[in-house]
Amino acid sequence: MLMIGAVVFAYVGMLALCLGLERHYKQVWGRAPAPWLRVALRSAGWSALAISLWVSGVAWGWAMGPVAWFGGISLAGFGVAMLLPYWPRAMVWLAAALPLWGVLLAV
Amino acid sequence: MKNTFTQSMAWLHTWAGLIFGWLLFAIFATGTLAVFDSEIDNWMRPEVRSHDLTQLQAAQRGLAYLTQHAPGASNWNISLPDARSPGLQVASGERRRGGGTALDPHTGEPIEVRETAGGSFFFRFHFTLNLPRNWGIFVVGALAIVMLVGLVSGIVIHKKIFKEFFTFRPGKGQRSWLDFHNASAVLLLPFHLMITYTGLVIFLLIYMPAAVDALFEGDNQAYYKAQGEQRLLTPRAALKQPAALVDLAPVLASAQERLGAISSIGISNPGTAAARIEVRPTLGYRIALSKGQAMVFDGVSGELLRDVPDMRPAVLTQRVMAGLHFAQFGGYPMRWLYFVCALVSTAMIGTGLVLFCVKRRRKYASASVSAQRWYKVAESFNVAFVAGLMLACAGLLWANRLLPVELAQRANWEVKAFFAVWLLSLLHAGLRPAQRAWAEQLGLAAVLCIGLPVLGALTAQHDPAHRVLEATSVVLGGLLAYAAWRCVAPREEKPARKRATVAVEGQ
Repeated sequence: MLMIGAVVFAYVGMLALCLGLERHYKQVWGRAPAPWLRVALRSAGWSALAISLWVSGVAWGWAMGPVAWFGGISLAGFGVAMLLPYWPRAMVWLAAALPLWGVLLAV
Repeated sequence: MKNTFTQSMAWLHTWAGLIFGWLLFAIFATGTLAVFDSEIDNWMRPEVRSHDLTQLQAAQRGLAYLTQHAPGASNWNISLPDARSPGLQVASGERRRGGGTALDPHTGEPIEVRETAGGSFFFRFHFTLNLPRNWGIFVVGALAIVMLVGLVSGIVIHKKIFKEFFTFRPGKGQRSWLDFHNASAVLLLPFHLMITYTGLVIFLLIYMPAAVDALFEGDNQAYYKAQGEQRLLTPRAALKQPAALVDLAPVLASAQERLGAISSIGISNPGTAAARIEVRPTLGYRIALSKGQAMVFDGVSGELLRDVPDMRPAVLTQRVMAGLHFAQFGGYPMRWLYFVCALVSTAMIGTGLVLFCVKRRRKYASASVSAQRWYKVAESFNVAFVAGLMLACAGLLWANRLLPVELAQRANWEVKAFFAVWLLSLLHAGLRPAQRAWAEQLGLAAVLCIGLPVLGALTAQHDPAHRVLEATSVVLGGLLAYAAWRCVAPREEKPARKRATVAVEGQ
């Protein structure tokens, strides 16, 4: 469960970083993001990646955790890049996996 | 060579990438499959059925068989089933490890298992290209250095690494190939660098023997011994004294508590007072590759004589790097991460190769006849080394189930089938127009991959443990089929896609 969480946070982080770039934000929403929104998305992205590292460390231990984290964020970023041109909205909606994971974890 | 630094790097990346990329693709593709070598092994040995016995139960079946059939042997070896592989094997005699007689873990009776190259063929091919071992290791090592050169020169010539971090624009010909090549390279750069560099470190002592030559006169064993691998002396007097072997249960339990799953048990001088039990862990209980490590117990009292040795910093560094490459740690989740990362790496090399030809298609259409001939060679090699290799890999699995079980030297015939398919694909690629050759070979590979569950069901009794491999094969087959379809129908696709992107942007 924690391992899945690490991947989900990695995905959300990469997604936010991607939307934090003006070109890609336009690609999804058709307009430029407000400057504060861009900053917010980027900070959220980096924070989510940091949380992903922490969750990886807890899930795998601090020797294997960083290895899994690098793999996770790389694949998450690649996933975002592949989804963006085909299903941009679905890419954003996939972030719903995060609250879903949170609920499942709490139950 | 070109004028500026970037231009020379681009030249280097292009040509080194093309010439060495063909073999690098084969190395990465088979390396990807080797992540699941045991699972492929299992599929290729359908006579070994999955079961839910514990390691202790299996060990006791093996022990009973050896006690009955090889009572006087100086050494016994029992390879145990684990989470990845259900096989139980026993061997006896002087210093035998691995192989031997396969047993049914339920009954303890020997079973007939087909001779096969197995998934370990992909593993061996990955680091030797099926050349004689040391030659292969040197060739693959040289290619790994070229891979590092490719990665670094690629970083130099890629001008917008961060600006185009997530950029992929499909349906735009050359642009799309470059985008995919860049995205897969940049986003997985940590993986590419790690896997290439650690691959070199595994054979450190073969590539750079100078230190061991100078300090230990070239004796690698002496080097490892100096790292703390003490050897236990056999008490000669006790050899003549008969004594019963200690119960395996507590011995195995204490080893499992310390090391996790066990890969095999070696018993030396069984039946005497000098008996020793060596318990070897599976490779993945920590990142550092634990190959050759073992806990040694007294065979009569069950007392621990030697724990797994602590590794000195130099050896530990090398073992951790080798372990990072072998991906034996972290169980199945880690294995899947490595597998998918490696798939993307393989695709990165493949798209780089295709890009070379796509970029030059228009230029060579109006070039001289001899230039066109060279271009055709590059195109054919691309087809054979990318699509043809995947076809040959799938072909190996088909050969495993289709060749008669009683065939002599069966494993060799499977390997011959692999290379025959590969050679035929080169021939086919030379004869057919490039686009058709791509479509036909990718299509055939897709059929073989998607058909694997059917072949499995028709040629052997169903084993639920094979389901994951067969499902993965179908998914990969689907990707290959999509690629084949895009080769034959790229033109109708374009305008539709363009309209779709415009619509999205216009919102």
